[in-house]
Amino acid sequence: MYANINIKKRLVLIFLILSAGLGIIFCRLVWLQLVRGEELQRKALENRLAPVPVPAQRGIIYDRQKRELAVNITADYIGAFPPEVRDSGQQEEIARKLAAVLGLSVEEILEKLNRPTGFEYIARKVDFARAQKIRELKLPGIVVVPENRRYYPHGLLAAHVLGFAGVDNQGLEGLEAMYDKELSGVRGQIVREFDALGHEIPQATHRYVPPQDGHSLVLTIDQTIQFLAERELDQLMASPTSPRKASILIMDPQSGEILAMASRPAFDPNNFAAYPQEMWGNPLVRDAYEPGSTFKIITAAAALEEGVVRTDDKFYDPGYIEVGPDTVRCWAWPLGHGSETFAEGVKNSCNPVFVTVALRLEEKKPGTFYDYIEAFGFGSPTGIDLTGEATGILIPREELKPINIATISMGQGIAVTPIQLATAVAAVANGGKLVRPYLVKEVLDTEGKVIWRREPKVERQVLSPNTAETVRRLLEEVVSEGTGRNAYIPGYRVAGKTGTAQKAGPGGYMEGRYVASFVGFAPADNPRVLALVVVDEPQGYPYYGGTVAAPIFQRVVADTLRYLEVPPQYSRGEKVEEKKTVEVPELVGLTLEEAEARLQAAGLASRIEGEGGVVVAQVPKAGVVVSQGTRVILYLQGDPSRPRVPDVTGLRIPEAAEVLEAYGLALVPEGTGQAAEQNPVPGTEVAPDTRVQVRFYEPSRPALGP
Amino acid sequence: MFNRKLWRNLDYVLVATVLALLAISLLVLDSAAASITSRPDYYVKKQMMVIALGLIGILVVSTIDYQQLKRYRLPLYIFNLLLLVSVFVIGSEAKGAQRWIDLGFFQFQPSEFSKLIVVITLAGMLEGRQGKLNHVKDLVLPFIHVAVPMLLVLKQPDLGTALVFMAILAGMLYVAGVNSRLFFTLVGGAALAAGLALYAHFNWGLPLPLEEYQLKRLVVMLDPYNDGEGGRGAGYHIIQSQVAIGSGGLWGKGLRQGSQVQLNFLPEHHTDFIFSVVGEELGFFRTLGVLALYFLLLYRMIRIAHQAKDLFGALLVTGVCCMFTFHVLVNVGMTIGIMPVTGIPLPLFSYGGSSMLTNLLALAIVINVNLRRQKILF
Repeated sequence: MYANINIKKRLVLIFLILSAGLGIIFCRLVWLQLVRGEELQRKALENRLAPVPVPAQRGIIYDRQKRELAVNITADYIGAFPPEVRDSGQQEEIARKLAAVLGLSVEEILEKLNRPTGFEYIARKVDFARAQKIRELKLPGIVVVPENRRYYPHGLLAAHVLGFAGVDNQGLEGLEAMYDKELSGVRGQIVREFDALGHEIPQATHRYVPPQDGHSLVLTIDQTIQFLAERELDQLMASPTSPRKASILIMDPQSGEILAMASRPAFDPNNFAAYPQEMWGNPLVRDAYEPGSTFKIITAAAALEEGVVRTDDKFYDPGYIEVGPDTVRCWAWPLGHGSETFAEGVKNSCNPVFVTVALRLEEKKPGTFYDYIEAFGFGSPTGIDLTGEATGILIPREELKPINIATISMGQGIAVTPIQLATAVAAVANGGKLVRPYLVKEVLDTEGKVIWRREPKVERQVLSPNTAETVRRLLEEVVSEGTGRNAYIPGYRVAGKTGTAQKAGPGGYMEGRYVASFVGFAPADNPRVLALVVVDEPQGYPYYGGTVAAPIFQRVVADTLRYLEVPPQYSRGEKVEEKKTVEVPELVGLTLEEAEARLQAAGLASRIEGEGGVVVAQVPKAGVVVSQGTRVILYLQGDPSRPRVPDVTGLRIPEAAEVLEAYGLALVPEGTGQAAEQNPVPGTEVAPDTRVQVRFYEPSRPALGP
Repeated sequence: MFNRKLWRNLDYVLVATVLALLAISLLVLDSAAASITSRPDYYVKKQMMVIALGLIGILVVSTIDYQQLKRYRLPLYIFNLLLLVSVFVIGSEAKGAQRWIDLGFFQFQPSEFSKLIVVITLAGMLEGRQGKLNHVKDLVLPFIHVAVPMLLVLKQPDLGTALVFMAILAGMLYVAGVNSRLFFTLVGGAALAAGLALYAHFNWGLPLPLEEYQLKRLVVMLDPYNDGEGGRGAGYHIIQSQVAIGSGGLWGKGLRQGSQVQLNFLPEHHTDFIFSVVGEELGFFRTLGVLALYFLLLYRMIRIAHQAKDLFGALLVTGVCCMFTFHVLVNVGMTIGIMPVTGIPLPLFSYGGSSMLTNLLALAIVINVNLRRQKILF
């Protein structure tokens, strides 16, 4: 036998250790299951609920006539469920296939497929043809899902106003950024239950929070006027003048509504990333420049308002004027304008006259000239509803010397933004009211009801109506008889002022670098349209505002007035000329030469798609009544057995169907509205009866859901 | 063959406890396995076969007097070492460790059986040294006896099982009557040395003969989110297991209803983390019930050791008891975040043939000792 007394005692210790261990476990269980029970239950729930965002439809941007400037188009994204891909065991093959279609690197895709997440984006906003290819590959764990993409149907048109939205439809520039809150709406979500491997659990918790679509904007911009302005700029950029930059601003001087805002060089907001970032901003609100003689309008207005000069006061210009120790030359130097009245001085844009009246203002009461400059809105933002507005540069009052007053009176030594200058001149045009310029007239809800409307806002009365009237008359003479003759529009009374400023660079003014500009409005007695044309660094001679900018002003404003149906008031034997409407002739079956001859005879223009052979289709069709000068698209085809796919973008479904049919091809439409993308791309040679997939844009909700 | 008198000695409480635990384990396993295979009964059927085999084993082993085991001490010990070495030669690797020998129908895990063999051989050795365990030199042989198989297991690497050997050695030495002062000095010294070594490792970069992941598990026990991957790396198990148990609340979510388990947020939930399933699906009260069964089981083993007719029997039961105790405390502690993750199964509960068979054979020895206990004449 053995002495078990000791053993018994020692076994008790094992029992105690066991009891103590289980005791600690008991306490921990109380802590986990009783005390933290609810918290950990929530955590368990969070583990398996994953919210999938449902993007809200971004609001549409319309022009003032409710024509679409920015819309949404459904695009596809390629997504992956990494666990499912890995389950298939072919992740490398899948990555290779995706990379080949999407043009991405295999490693990059493989890395995403190996992430421990339930879902990964492989590529966003994939074009139609590639998405289709991937759809056809039917890869395990890879999905092609439609989402919204912002689409600017007119490309460059008003790009600097509209700005653009990014990959998640967030506004990044222009109105898209400024009104992002209104446009973006509220994103919804689907809460789905997932297991640890990212597989969706069937018949599990589903909660759908619908998105609230964004509001739409109605702009003050008129697409047609905008187009007129951009057309002029394109012609200018292509001409020998070929400036570095050029801009046109057109506004309604009575209300402050901006009718057009155009700048070149511009960017295509559909593909903004391809352009340098400096090109995204709107030069009309961001870039300050020395306005030159156009600023003399302000000087004249202030002097007349303060009564330091009358229109028939006499001046003498010897070609220069001395200001203290300095000498300011007239632009006509070494010649002078000699003896002239104030009105003639304005017509001649005579520097000594403006220097004299500006100095008179300062004599009357120091600071008066600057008070007017500030009252006209210079040195502070106009408050236009665009991001990134600059304030311009004013020499601080305390550093102001008489020579500065002298140069500022003729628009040098001060930097203003085009929108500031236009707003200030608008005050002259509208009877002395400084209005706040704006771009967005109305905000509409998804049903199209107006939920907010901007009323024109008068900041202050800067001039008496009488003075404004006087300045208008002086400016009208500038156009009818003075430096602004090139802005003259037959049938309308035009008032305006030229400007040619030498550009300042490091160490003084730069030889050969000018900003030529023209600002004016019409009709002078009841202004409906105000336009400012700024041409930055025109090439060659002449570089004057009166020769470079005034003709552009003339053409744009003439077209705009006609478009706005402002009745012309012909006088002094001006001829009546009116645009006629014509019927589009039948052109199908003709050769190109015959078709063009007929169009010319009818006063119509042409655009040619395809080459060789005969016209197989035309848009618009024969018999449609259009105004003279309208472009008719001629579709040509050579060998009918080997058709080349025509470009149908921009057409509507029936038109596109007809054109494709004429080529012996079939249309596979997707969406409704206007054709935006097509596959195969134009120019591809295909077999007859090939199906051409065309995606038409129009606001549409992507098919999202379980 | 059956000695009726012998069976009158049977501890029915112990047997009932074991059967209750096995029954509950099959219910829980059925639920736990539902989410990991398309054949939900696969795991349960396999486990039931192992249990049946084990119960037959108990009946067979009970007929042989445990005293016989003493005679086969040396062959058993050599057989044990051969098995452990063979793992490195013909074993198959899984999850970065070589622990299994593929027998075709069965993934045999020698380290599980090794524990039981060591209990038997060590009991035989210590019985002969009763009262002669007062100096360090007396302890050298028992240490080597355990150290050789233990190091082989550690080499696989299987740190958890290796630590079980330590627990067995300590428990059996103590009950065998080692000098108290010497024993506690050694245990205290070892604990202190281990603590210092870890401190030195983390603060001064002292190299330790442990794998990086094993050390990381120690770190993440204190803060599971501090695993370098925001709780998705080494800390993931600990977090998900505690979320599972905690979210079970008072009454649990019901069998097959635990979202953590059924949606596979908690991996290994049919083997090492089966206790988390108990916690999540059965809730606080029933979990306490399961723990109470373990308590009862271990208490009855201590009682049987108490009543053993000789030291060999008492040591056998002590060894088994220590093995079970260590497994239960470390496994459960791991699932509730108070022990590092070491991957040792919950006895009689976790899915796994080798472990289940070993534990049932261990119980066979306990019952054997119980049947042949000394007559107590009151």
